[in-house]
Amino acid sequence: MSDPVFWQTLRLTLEVSLVTTLILLLLGLPLGWVLAHKRFWGKRVLESVVLLPLTLPPTVLGFYLLLLMGQNGPIAQTLGFTWAFRFEGLVVGSVLFSLPFALNGYREAFRGLELDLIQTARTLGAGWRRVWLEVILPITWPGILSGTILAFAHTLGEFGVVLMVGGSIPGKTQMVSIYIYDQVQALQFGRASEAAAVLLGVSFALVYLVRTLEDEWRSRMPSSTR
Amino acid sequence: MEIAYALEHPVKLQLKLRVQGFTVLLGESGVGKTSFLKALAGLIFATGQPFGGLRAEHRPVGYLPQHFALFPHLRAWQNVAFPLAHLPPPQRKAQALAYLDQMGIAGLSEQFPRELSGGQQQRVALARALAREPKILLLDEPTSALDAATREEVFGGVLERLKSLQIPTLVASHDQWLAQRADWVGVLTRAGLVQQGTSEEVFTRPATLEVARLVGFRNLWEGTVVLLEGAWALVATPIGLLKAPRQAWVSLGQPIRLGVRPEEVFTLQGRENLIRGRVRHLRSQGLRIRGQLLIGEAVLDFLLPRYKQLQLDLHEGQWLEVALEPHCLHLIPAD
Repeated sequence: MSDPVFWQTLRLTLEVSLVTTLILLLLGLPLGWVLAHKRFWGKRVLESVVLLPLTLPPTVLGFYLLLLMGQNGPIAQTLGFTWAFRFEGLVVGSVLFSLPFALNGYREAFRGLELDLIQTARTLGAGWRRVWLEVILPITWPGILSGTILAFAHTLGEFGVVLMVGGSIPGKTQMVSIYIYDQVQALQFGRASEAAAVLLGVSFALVYLVRTLEDEWRSRMPSSTR
Repeated sequence: MEIAYALEHPVKLQLKLRVQGFTVLLGESGVGKTSFLKALAGLIFATGQPFGGLRAEHRPVGYLPQHFALFPHLRAWQNVAFPLAHLPPPQRKAQALAYLDQMGIAGLSEQFPRELSGGQQQRVALARALAREPKILLLDEPTSALDAATREEVFGGVLERLKSLQIPTLVASHDQWLAQRADWVGVLTRAGLVQQGTSEEVFTRPATLEVARLVGFRNLWEGTVVLLEGAWALVATPIGLLKAPRQAWVSLGQPIRLGVRPEEVFTLQGRENLIRGRVRHLRSQGLRIRGQLLIGEAVLDFLLPRYKQLQLDLHEGQWLEVALEPHCLHLIPAD
């Protein structure tokens, strides 16, 4: 752990993951609700698009984002800014790439929720605010948290997309996974294994937490659905 | 309370129904009973009165879905306190406990829904609906989640309490047992609301063939009116000439249906409408015996108390004479 660059890299990785996760929460919760409970034209297309990053090679996603947000890209030409090779670019790439993980968790959590509960809550005088705060979230929070943690963990180990969009500038856009790769390239196996161990520990702890929350969530399902 | 509602989706339905006391909307599944209740509660778009145009959270209704929809993360008293959000916390709990007590389950206030039996969950859900101080209670199939064997025991008590509250209650159900205990019954079929009246009226004088089948007329023969005499009509049926109460719409020579409920087939009493046939398909059903009498090609279903079987030494293949009490026969227009 003697390399000061590693700590910069870890800090950046955690920052990107945290911001990504918060955005996913804001974006994913309404989207997950819509996908779980609404029927509309083009729903299957929307589902396929948001799940696409699961099968798409990260480099392909990263490549398109690079074209989109790069110096000569459409965003630069119309809106006048470039997010490629910057923190913002890393976040955009990570959000898109981790969206399916967060969304799957949210959608499953919402699907397990009986609509009867929501309808009955409304007949008991609760407006939408109370329905969300006192019925939906208290019942589905383990599922939401597990989707969120999974997305966080996934962003933590992100490689292909952030390499394409961020370009691995040490201290600026280099994430831990790329740092490890670079150390191996430079035959610095000691540094690489230290960094790898940190990622391994953090990832295991997060996945363990997700499993625990899933069990918690199952035991909360109402008995009347049996 | 008069209800007039029209909805388009998920079923096209337009109906005018009176709700007085404990009212049952009787109908088979799929005719739109649940949708109608939801429309009244403001959960499905519909037009009509009362409460027309109000959002669900502003309607003074107590809605109870089939599986009660208790909030699984809240204790019984917290469930009941949910609609009492306008009260300060200490008062909220006291009030919730009072409603639980009203349903006779104050002792279960700290339990979570998953720790309660179906009947107990139902009472909590009712207490919660009452806490809303509704102008009308809407219950969706309240007996379907209960065990048929213990239904009377479990729901009987609830029924008494509901009736004593004097809140108009509309129950969607296909349960005849429940409809027989109602103050008012509406019968909903795919054709719409085909009959409404007191429970006695609907169960003894169904207006159409469909209603007759729905309220338990298993014997429905085709027949022709051959004689009209005072308050009586004489009808030729496959089981013989039968005397039945005359209805205003009946005319001589008219093809009609004649019905009698299996539980109103009596043995060896009276002199009129004597029918002789061979006994078959005897089966015990609880404390009663269900069977059929074969009269030529025609079949008469009957349901007798067990002691009758013992008295008559009833067995299959035996010849038996029964008397159909004329007042219990009912004429229905042929379809």
